Amino acid sequence: MTVNVTEAAAADTGVSAASRARTELARLISYVVLGTGSAYLSYRAASLPTSRWEPLGAGSFPKLVFAVLALLCLAAAVRAVIDIHRAGGLHRVGAAFGKWLYIRRISIALFALLVVYLAVMPIVGFSVTSFVFLLASQLMIAGISRRTILQSVVAALIFSVGLNMLFAGVFNVFLPRGILFAG
Amino acid sequence: MDAFLAGAHQVFAFDTLTYMLIGSVAGIIAAAIPGFTVTMAIILTLPLTFAMEPLQGVAVMLSVYVGGYTGGLISAALLGIPGTPSSVATTFDAFPMARNGEPGRALSLGIWASFFGTVISTIVLIVAAPPLALIAVKLGPWEYFSLIVFALTVVASLVGNSLMRGLIAGVIGLGIATIGPDPMMGRSRLTFDTDLLMPGLPFLIVLIGIFAISQLLSEVEIHGKKTSHALIPKVIDFKTWQVMREVLMGPVNLIRSSMIGVFIGALPGAGGSIANLLAYDQAKRSSKTPEKFGQGSPDGVVASEAGNSATAGGGLIPMIALGIPGSAVDAILMASLMVHGISVGPRLIMDNADLVYGMFIAMIVSSLMMLVVCVASMRLFLRVTDIPKQFIVPTVIVCCVIGAFALNNRMSDLYLLGIIGLVGYGLKSLDYPLAPLVLGVILGPIAETNLRRALMSDADWTTFFTRPISAVLLIAAVISVVFSVRSILKIRKTARETNVASD
Repeated sequence: MTVNVTEAAAADTGVSAASRARTELARLISYVVLGTGSAYLSYRAASLPTSRWEPLGAGSFPKLVFAVLALLCLAAAVRAVIDIHRAGGLHRVGAAFGKWLYIRRISIALFALLVVYLAVMPIVGFSVTSFVFLLASQLMIAGISRRTILQSVVAALIFSVGLNMLFAGVFNVFLPRGILFAG
Repeated sequence: MDAFLAGAHQVFAFDTLTYMLIGSVAGIIAAAIPGFTVTMAIILTLPLTFAMEPLQGVAVMLSVYVGGYTGGLISAALLGIPGTPSSVATTFDAFPMARNGEPGRALSLGIWASFFGTVISTIVLIVAAPPLALIAVKLGPWEYFSLIVFALTVVASLVGNSLMRGLIAGVIGLGIATIGPDPMMGRSRLTFDTDLLMPGLPFLIVLIGIFAISQLLSEVEIHGKKTSHALIPKVIDFKTWQVMREVLMGPVNLIRSSMIGVFIGALPGAGGSIANLLAYDQAKRSSKTPEKFGQGSPDGVVASEAGNSATAGGGLIPMIALGIPGSAVDAILMASLMVHGISVGPRLIMDNADLVYGMFIAMIVSSLMMLVVCVASMRLFLRVTDIPKQFIVPTVIVCCVIGAFALNNRMSDLYLLGIIGLVGYGLKSLDYPLAPLVLGVILGPIAETNLRRALMSDADWTTFFTRPISAVLLIAAVISVVFSVRSILKIRKTARETNVASD
């Protein structure tokens, strides 16, 4: 029994170390992306013309800020590499990434729906696109059944057409009508 | 006195009071929904206030704010899930109390503690903000720049689990603020000649994308957790007046927790979530019966709720007196005033005294409204915790889209919203704290303007270290980073020792 518990604890420690290493890898990628981007932006800001009236021109502050960001990312990246090494290296990264995506599948699908919603809105208008977006996303989250379809249609109608009328009538905020419906 | 009466006149107008009442109810409902933060509720209120007078708009947002801090109590007490991050410690005692068959008492304790916490913090706000503003107008650009550096380091070290990621987030915010026209000469920067970036990244779009969209996307992640059911018996005895006496009979705990809330609220970035935990911790340490904490102790509920609610008034102190928001919510309030063309800074109280006095009055009125609304209709709010996610998440996304569009009536703002939302979600998934980023965006132009003004007056960089207040603030910034690094190293050492022991 004691042996089993010790083995389980060791396995847990191993799993958590591997998991820590994978998290640090994800962060390391973010540091590299942010650091490279900020180094480039710092370079771009440095090429802005200097001012004749003041010691700092329009580019000085962004140059400074992005240079600091690049340095911070470099320091964080070094730390992440050390942490990955201390945790015993990387194992089963592909499987862990697959699990990460699986947990977030609805979030990713919802964001994809949001992209389509925003892309189509100038053409079809707020009310129609919002109705379709609400209906599709509600059914995606809740699952399809007769009850959820009925509930979702009612909620989508209220929060698409209803919100449009509320904002236009009460707050004088006119939401996009869409090229197709613009008269 | 005239300014006070003018502010009172605007707040006590029938339409303002009606909107505030709706705001109070909306704040309570929003925060009662697990995963729906006070910040998100305020963001959604913002577009509705564009058509209002500045004070009317701010008063409505304050009522959502005050209501929101109390609403988090409902799911904390009945589900054991904090409705907002600022009610984490509330779950420690309110939930056991509710499980022990006293859900009504747990809720009433929280409501009264929130009410008294808000009132105490407003009194401190009224006393502290005007003299602090008088001192602040005498500060030069050197001191202001150093103050912002200090604020950002404090935010980075207090929020989140990592100082480094906090600092990175804060500097990303500063960087985002540099895109578009420069704040002094209007010269275009880092726009890559695209129409999308030409006007810069509007603060409110960044805020909605970073806080609301990222939070909503993470709400629908499936981690295989099962949510517990609410403890809502058929009959709940709220014991309203008996509980009020009980709260008032422990004035030391109430005042101490409220003062902790005020102090934490006044620190940039340290909002209700820290105050809630710190006030609870202090109450436990000072208690004669600390062993009862965690098992339904009334002192624990009072401390946690008074602590988080008192940050509302505390956070307004630096915003009104210095033009530096204490939290993301204060940053939104500040932005809403800026949308109306009111510049927020130490001169706010001198140039717009009626507005500031009106805000003080609105805080008191909001807390009274919250109390009346909660006492009168708590049973209805209990049902809010049952609203399924499939209705909340998409609907709130649509409301965010409306809010982002209503700001400038530009479709391009919506595309930015989508991009920033995705970036925010990515950062949130990697455990970057988002509050420093948002504060960086709002403080960026102020920092840059003051830095450039300072160097225009005197091109010598050492002036930042030779002017006493500026030097003290910079030293304080360094100390806050050093302390944070020290505590991180201590935690790492303890974790390593634990790992070694377990091996």
